[in-house]
Amino acid sequence: MTETPELLVISVNGVEHRLRTPGSRSLLSVLRGDLALTGAKYGCGNGECGACTVLIDGQAVRSCITPVSLAHNRSVTTIEGLTAEDGLHPVQQAFLDAQAFQCGYCTPGFIMSAIALLNTNPDPSELEIRDALAGQLCRCGVYPRVIEAVQLAAAKMRG
Amino acid sequence: MPQDTPNPEQPTSPDAPGLTRRDFLRLAGGVVVLFSLGPEARSAVTSTGTDQSAGLGGWLRIGPDSRVTVFTPTPEVGQGLRTSLAQIAADELSLPMSSIDIIMGDTDRVPAQTPADHGSAVATIGPRLRAAAAQARSIIAELAAARWDVDPEAVQVRDGLAAVADDPERSVAIGELARGRRLVRRPSDMTVLEPSGEHRLVGQSVPRVDGPEIVTGTVPFVGDLRLPDMVYAKLLRPPCLDARLVGVDARAAARQSGVVAVVQQGDFVAVVAERPDLAEKALRLVRASWEEPGRPHTSSLYDDMRRSAKLTDRTRHEGDADAALAAAQYGFSATYRTAFVAHAPIEPHGAVAAQEADRIIVHASTQRPFLHRDAVSRAFDLPPERVRVIAAPVGGAFGGKDEGDVSVAAVRLARAVRRPVMLTYSREEEFTWGYFRPAALIDVQCGANGDGDITAWACDAFNCGPRGADPPYAFPNQRVDSYDCDVPLRQGHWRGDGGPANTFAREVHLDHVASELGHDPVGFRLRHLTADERMARVVRTAAEAYGWREARAPTGLGVGFACAADSGAFVAQIAEVEVSRVTGEVRVRRVLTAHDCGLIINPDGLRNQIEGAVIMGLGFTLREAVRYEQGRILSDTFASYAIPTIRDTPALETMLIPNPDRPARGAGTAAIFPIAAAVTNAVFDATGRRLRELPLSPERVRAGMTADDQ
Ligand code: FES
Ligand code: FES
Repeated sequence: MTETPELLVISVNGVEHRLRTPGSRSLLSVLRGDLALTGAKYGCGNGECGACTVLIDGQAVRSCITPVSLAHNRSVTTIEGLTAEDGLHPVQQAFLDAQAFQCGYCTPGFIMSAIALLNTNPDPSELEIRDALAGQLCRCGVYPRVIEAVQLAAAKMRG
Repeated sequence: MPQDTPNPEQPTSPDAPGLTRRDFLRLAGGVVVLFSLGPEARSAVTSTGTDQSAGLGGWLRIGPDSRVTVFTPTPEVGQGLRTSLAQIAADELSLPMSSIDIIMGDTDRVPAQTPADHGSAVATIGPRLRAAAAQARSIIAELAAARWDVDPEAVQVRDGLAAVADDPERSVAIGELARGRRLVRRPSDMTVLEPSGEHRLVGQSVPRVDGPEIVTGTVPFVGDLRLPDMVYAKLLRPPCLDARLVGVDARAAARQSGVVAVVQQGDFVAVVAERPDLAEKALRLVRASWEEPGRPHTSSLYDDMRRSAKLTDRTRHEGDADAALAAAQYGFSATYRTAFVAHAPIEPHGAVAAQEADRIIVHASTQRPFLHRDAVSRAFDLPPERVRVIAAPVGGAFGGKDEGDVSVAAVRLARAVRRPVMLTYSREEEFTWGYFRPAALIDVQCGANGDGDITAWACDAFNCGPRGADPPYAFPNQRVDSYDCDVPLRQGHWRGDGGPANTFAREVHLDHVASELGHDPVGFRLRHLTADERMARVVRTAAEAYGWREARAPTGLGVGFACAADSGAFVAQIAEVEVSRVTGEVRVRRVLTAHDCGLIINPDGLRNQIEGAVIMGLGFTLREAVRYEQGRILSDTFASYAIPTIRDTPALETMLIPNPDRPARGAGTAAIFPIAAAVTNAVFDATGRRLRELPLSPERVRAGMTADDQ
């Protein structure tokens, strides 16, 4: 059951990586293990909690069930890739302004998911926010603040 | 003027309660003020085994760099404790928040924890920390006064400077005064100083100090640590609880590339590899055979609980409840049940262990680093001072990360492979190999007269402990007892322990009695809250804010009320629900919470905790129940154990009742007590059907609606 490593070219947070590894490995395992990007979290490993959410070409994916081969020749963004020199991404800032966290373990996943939502829908209704984030679990129960944060960010990003 | 302690490296002195030499050695120079815990917390101190510094709340140090460091045992678990403590210290010392460092949860650097509730760490530590800061401030003033030969009263300590007003020549950084000194004040040396009472930061919604780390994904959770040469482990788990290993063949696993070792010690088998996914893959190749224990045929969990019950706590006995019940004009009795519930933090258990010279260093996701340290020290027969446990930031715990199993396993492996080892649980392991909130069975009997006065109350609580069972109501005759039972699953602490179950039984039953007697639920509660003005005020506040309309019978609107008190916090809740008559689905539309926990350190932080408690509470109210069969946990994914999602989130209104003259009390917990009863009472209001078992699953609700008789 040894799998042959393949050569994968993946841009992560704007940096091109060439990796030789089995393409069936999860993107999460490669990000956290090989690239030392630990912002995406393991929460369940089977697509049910959203803690591992990252973007591939702007779309939210659950990196724990995404084979790394799927990211070949594509561009991956993790929470580490959001923070520009000059400060936080507006969604990060909005989570901070709304204090939309307690333990913070789910927060990177929520932020990435919210960014993906706002990429396609810059002015989501509360219902649309709930639908888009229904797969992101938070056991501390900061959901009302997440809704507020996404609304704040949306308003700010629309300018 | 204060005397420098001549030799702080002296071993324990009787007036520094159990402060050991090691503790002193760790204190750097500067001005150090030790503080003890309040008497409430101290009386809760049981033996923590070996550590004598239990009962000491921590210490505060002013360093030569003018920074103030607070050392205190209870770690941050997302409740904002770090921020609250910094607010308190900064306030009293008139410093900005950024001058305060908080060191928590490191067994080498802080005094041992007490078993006091996590939720009330601000309550137990806050006032003492404030007093210690006042003491430090006065020491600084005295040192400055001595330097300039002025009266200490003339010295102002503010913004990191000690200064004589209007004299620019006489101004010095507080760190300058602390430099080169080794001045240690112990609790017994102190005349307790009145804190300044000035609240500049306390009472403000100061943002969480760790917020920037959280939103950038840079909080170092235990799974994010990378030690040089570290390897990753996966444990071989039995097919069911209590199985015994009879044979194992790990040869194929050991041959896998990247596998460092397969470790077997008795029933303990683990694969250690260079990467976590390699360990996982190799583990699947381990062939093991297990012997499952014979399991007695169980008729029903609740029958077995009743059969095995042992009276363990006589929580409250007043008058003669049983005689008064027999004599009562009206009698109402019913039984309430709640299921086993999982903690289900999004971050599963994890630990990193490393052997360094003759010491073991463990980083663990836990609220109880000292329990983990003691577990490791027992398991390997090491003196506790050779084990250091550092609590990593915790990705949710809720009482579920107390036990040291994960640390013990990580240490076992680190010793076996002589490299640092990370062990993190999978989601399935998290749901299976921790422990649960106890299932509960609660019998309530109530007697009343024709005027609507409760004359007797008796409550027998099985398997959930006495927390929250003591009614706030002035019932003339009452008896509250609780019993321990034999149960098939491992159980332990869970946010509020038995409080939510006991409150569910009491508040649903009280509602039942009110409606049977034709009384309004709020009016009926107030009628019996004659001895608890604080609870009554919270009840009135909630009812007024909601615009409660008196109702003597179910209104069909789906509105329910409940209240509870816990560790000095008082809470009343009103829930609004919609019940689908077709599916039996209950949707909670709105929850209003009125809350009084005395002095509020951080209103927004408190709101966040209350909102979280309500949402978490909706989980065990509506859906959550651990399913198991023959020692197997069947609900071991988020699909089979559905915690609340953003879709379930009702409109939340939270009224904080200011009560600054009362000490700050446990704020993270009380709001989770009444929610199940408020919702269940709302379902009654909507449907006229009284449900008495949690969760209120659609099947149960449907069955309730079709039952002809209650
Ligand atoms: S860890 Fe990927 S969805 Fe839970
Ligand atoms: S903040 Fe703790 S899980 Fe969301």
